[in-house]
Amino acid sequence: MVFSSLFFVYFFLAITLAAYFFCKTIRSKNIVLVIASLVFYAWGEPIWVGLLVLSAFINWKAALLIQKYKKVKAATFIAGLAIVIDLAFLIIFKYSGFIVENINGLFHSSIPVPQITMPIGISFFTFQAISYILDVLWETVPAQKKYGRFLLYLSLFPQLIAGPIVRYSVIEKEISNRKSTPVDISEGAMRAIIGLSKKVIVANNLYVIVEQFFGSDITNLSFLGTWYGVIIYSLYVYFDFSGYSDIAIGLGRMFGFHFNENFNYPFICKTISEFWQRWHISLSSFFRDYLFYAPIFGRPRKYFNLFLVWFCTGMWHGASWNFIFWGLYFGIFIFIETLIGKKKLKKWNKIWTHVYSKLIIVIGFGIFYFTDLSQLGRFFLNISGISMISNGNAFGDLITWNSLVNNLFLIIFAILVSMPILPKIKYFFYEWGNNTVYAFGKVAGTVICCALLIICSILMVDNTNNPFLYFRF
Amino acid sequence: MENKRKQPPRKKGFNYMKKRNVEHGFSVISLMIMIPVFFLTAIFLLVVPRSEKSNIEKRNLAKFPSFSFQDYFSGTYTAKITEYYDDTVPDRDNFKNMGYGFKSVFGIHTEEEVRIVGKPVAVVNDTDKDKANGKTEGSDKTENKTDKKTDNKTENKTDNKNNETSKSEETGNKVNTEKDEYKEASNGLIVVKHDGHYRGLELFGGGSGDSYVAALNSFHSDLGDSVKIYSMTPSTASEYYLPDAYSQYNVSQKETVESIASRLDSAISFVDVIPVLEGHSNEEIYLRTDHHWTPLGAYYAAQTFAKAAGVEFKDISTYKKVDIENFSGTLAAWAEDANLTADTETFSYYIPSNYEKCTTYYFDTACNDTGSGNFFCQVGSPEYNAYLTFMGGDEQVVKVKTDVKNGRKLMIVKDSYGNALPGYLFGSFEEIYVVDMRYFDNNLVQYIKDEGVTDLLFAMVSFSAVGGNADNLDVIRTQ
Repeated sequence: MVFSSLFFVYFFLAITLAAYFFCKTIRSKNIVLVIASLVFYAWGEPIWVGLLVLSAFINWKAALLIQKYKKVKAATFIAGLAIVIDLAFLIIFKYSGFIVENINGLFHSSIPVPQITMPIGISFFTFQAISYILDVLWETVPAQKKYGRFLLYLSLFPQLIAGPIVRYSVIEKEISNRKSTPVDISEGAMRAIIGLSKKVIVANNLYVIVEQFFGSDITNLSFLGTWYGVIIYSLYVYFDFSGYSDIAIGLGRMFGFHFNENFNYPFICKTISEFWQRWHISLSSFFRDYLFYAPIFGRPRKYFNLFLVWFCTGMWHGASWNFIFWGLYFGIFIFIETLIGKKKLKKWNKIWTHVYSKLIIVIGFGIFYFTDLSQLGRFFLNISGISMISNGNAFGDLITWNSLVNNLFLIIFAILVSMPILPKIKYFFYEWGNNTVYAFGKVAGTVICCALLIICSILMVDNTNNPFLYFRF
Repeated sequence: MENKRKQPPRKKGFNYMKKRNVEHGFSVISLMIMIPVFFLTAIFLLVVPRSEKSNIEKRNLAKFPSFSFQDYFSGTYTAKITEYYDDTVPDRDNFKNMGYGFKSVFGIHTEEEVRIVGKPVAVVNDTDKDKANGKTEGSDKTENKTDKKTDNKTENKTDNKNNETSKSEETGNKVNTEKDEYKEASNGLIVVKHDGHYRGLELFGGGSGDSYVAALNSFHSDLGDSVKIYSMTPSTASEYYLPDAYSQYNVSQKETVESIASRLDSAISFVDVIPVLEGHSNEEIYLRTDHHWTPLGAYYAAQTFAKAAGVEFKDISTYKKVDIENFSGTLAAWAEDANLTADTETFSYYIPSNYEKCTTYYFDTACNDTGSGNFFCQVGSPEYNAYLTFMGGDEQVVKVKTDVKNGRKLMIVKDSYGNALPGYLFGSFEEIYVVDMRYFDNNLVQYIKDEGVTDLLFAMVSFSAVGGNADNLDVIRTQ
C-alpha cells in the first residue's frame, strides 16, 4: 500500500485512526496497530506477510534466549545465528539473482538465475531486527517478553516498508506505555501532510522531468541537459524519501510514537561526511554503530571498516553494481576527508566546500540512477563534456531550457524547501513568540495543512501509480 | 521539520506552564479543523456514487475485481481494489481538471513532456533550412536514388497478397528503406506527451521541392490536357502537434507545400489538404507511434480530392470500421523511446460498402500480372504492421476494378501515405491504379496512356515531395 494514494489516506488510515482512538487501553490500541500493520503489509505482499511474522518470531525468541544466557558464550552464538538467519532471508530474497548472475558471468557457468520477487521492505525490517538482536546482546535494551509487542515494533506500518530504521530502544517504552496528546496528534498530522505534499506536489512532478531526460537512451543528451537531469533527480530523491520519512514520523507521532529524524537538510552540508550525517540518518547510524565500530574479523580496522561500511551501504540499496559503486564512491570521498582531517576541512572556504560537496553528491545520484552500466558510462561521458567531442553532443538544448523555464517555480520552491527555512518559521511561531504569535502560527499552520491535504488529494486523483523510490530497497 | 538546530534562548520571564496550556488548547482547535476535513473527505469518497467513465481520458474506469485465490495470493486482487478506489473517485474528471488548474497556477508544467531523438538543427531562414535539410540539388541525389531503385529492383518480390508470410518477412526492410528516405527531409524526432499520451513527431527540415515541381510539370507536358493531374502533399503530424516552443527546429510544411503548389502549371490541380486536416486536428488523424496519418486522416484528404475531381464520395458512416488494437508503429521503433513504445494505440481502418463488388489485381513493378487478391489484408503481426493493411505494402502495382460506371480511371502515384487513400475512392472511380514512385520499372507516361487513365493524382507527403523520393518521379517518367 502506498502512502500517497487515496485508498491509503481516506480508507485504510481513516479506519485505522477511528479504530485506534476508539480503543481505550494500550493493549487494545496495540492490537489495532498490529492488525492494521499486517493488513497493510499483506495488501501488497499477501504471501510474504508470513515471512514478516516468522522473522519477528525468530528474533523475538532469539532475543529472549540471548538475555537468558547473557553471561555465557551461548548468547553470542544465538545472536550470531539470529543475524545469520536474518541476513539469509535478505540474501535469498534480495541478492540471490544478482549473485548467480555474477557467478555465471565470471565463470561462464549457466546456473539458473532464481526468479524470486523481493518482499517489500525486507531491507528495513531485517535491519531493525538485527539492531534489536545486537542491542539485546550488548545489553542496551532488555528483550521484549511479549511476542505481540515485538511484532508491533517490527511491523508498525508507518515505518515498515521504507523506514526510517527505528531502533527498538527508541520506542521500547512507548510500546507498553504511551499517550497521544492533542499536541502529538495535531503536530503528527501536520508533519504527515507536509510529507505527503513533498511527495505528491514536489517529488512526483520532479520525477516527470527526470523521466523526460533520463527515461530513455541518453547517448545524445546535451551537457547541460545531463547536469539538469541529475540535479532534478537529486532533488527528487530527497523529496521522495524525506517525504516518506515525514509521513512515517508524523503518523507514528499521531499514534504516540516518537521516531528519530531520518533527514536533516542534507543539501546544506559542506562535506560528504556531513552529508551522510544528514541523509538517511537511520541507515548511516545503523552502519556506524553496528558495523563501523564493531570489531569485525578481530580488532576494529578504521579504513577497512570504512570501506566495508560503504560497500554495504551501496549493496543495501540494491542488487546491482551501480549501487555498490555508489557506496564505494562516497566511501572514497569520506576516506579522503578523513585523511585531510576535520579541522583542516573547517578552515576551507565555505563556498568551495559547498560547491565541492554538491558536485560529488549530484554526480553520486547519477550513479544511483543508472542501474544499466552502459547508460551509466554514457552519463559520465555526457556530464564530463567528453561526449561533446566524441559524439558531437550539444552543450545545451532547447528542451532543457524550456523545461527549466516551464518549471522554474517548482525547482526554486524545491531548492528553498530543501533548506532549513521551515524550522526557522516554526521556531518563530512556536518557540520565540508569545502566546498570540503561537496561536496565530498554529491556526495558520493548520489551515495551510488542510489546504495542502486537499491539493494533494486532488493531485492523487491523477496519480494512480506513484510508488515511493525506497519501496524497492 | 527535521532535527532541531541550536536556537537562541527564550525570552526572560517565559511562562512554560501557560505555554503548555496554550499549546494544548490550540492543538485541540487545530484538530477540530483537521478532523472534519479529513473524515468528511473519507465519507465523501465512500458514499458518493463513483465515476465509471472518464470523458477526459476517453476510457472506462477500473471495475471492482472479482475474487479468486490465485489473484489474491499474487497480490493482483488487492492491487485492483486499490486501483478501483483511486480510479473511480466521484466526479473524477472535474477533480482532474482542478489538478491541472492547480499545477498551472503554481507554474508546474511537467505534463508537457518532450524528448528529442537525434540532433536537430535550428532552422531560422531559407539558407538554414537547406542546411538543416542537408539537401543538395543536382545529379548526386538522382544517382543515389537511381542506384537505390536498381537495388530494390533486384530484390523485388511482388507476391500474391494471400501469401502473408513472405510479406511479413519484407516488413523490416521496408521500415528501414522508408526511414532512410525520410531522413533526408527530417530534422530529427521529437517525442511529446499530450493529454496523457506520448506522440512521436518528425521535425521537418524543409526543402525547395524543385524536383517534384519539375517532374509534375513534365508529366503535364507529356500527357497534355487529356489527363487531369492533381497534386496532394499532406504534411506529417508535426505540422499540427509540435509544441510552439520547438518550432525553431521545424520548417512549416504548409508554407513549403504552398510554395510547391505556386510553381506547378496552372492546369495541375492543387489539392490543399493541410488546412483541411488542421480543421480536424482534434480528431485522431495522425498515428502517435507511426510516421503515417491514420486512415481517418486519409479519409478527409480523399474527401478533399473527390471534391476537386468532381466525383461522388461516400460518407464515412457507410464504411465498416475495423480496429487493430495495441498498434506500435515506426516512430516508436525509430525513437527507441520506452514511453512511446509502451503507449500503444488503436489502428482503425474503414472498408467501403461496395468492397465485395470490387476486384483488386496485383502486378509486379514491371507490370506483370501476379493475380488478384484482397485490397485490405493482414500482414504479419498486425500490432506492428497495421499500416500494411492496405495492399500489403508498396512494392507492386495495383489495379482495383470497382462497380462504378462513370468512365473515370484514376491513377494514384504515391509514397506510403497514398496507400490509405484508394479505399475511399472505390465508390468514385471505375478503375483505380496505384503506383509507388519508388518501385516502378516501366515508363509511367506510356502506362498511363495504355490504361486510358483520366485522372492522375500525385499523393506524396511533404517529406517525400522535397526529399529524394521526388527525384524518382522523373526517373519513372523517362525510363
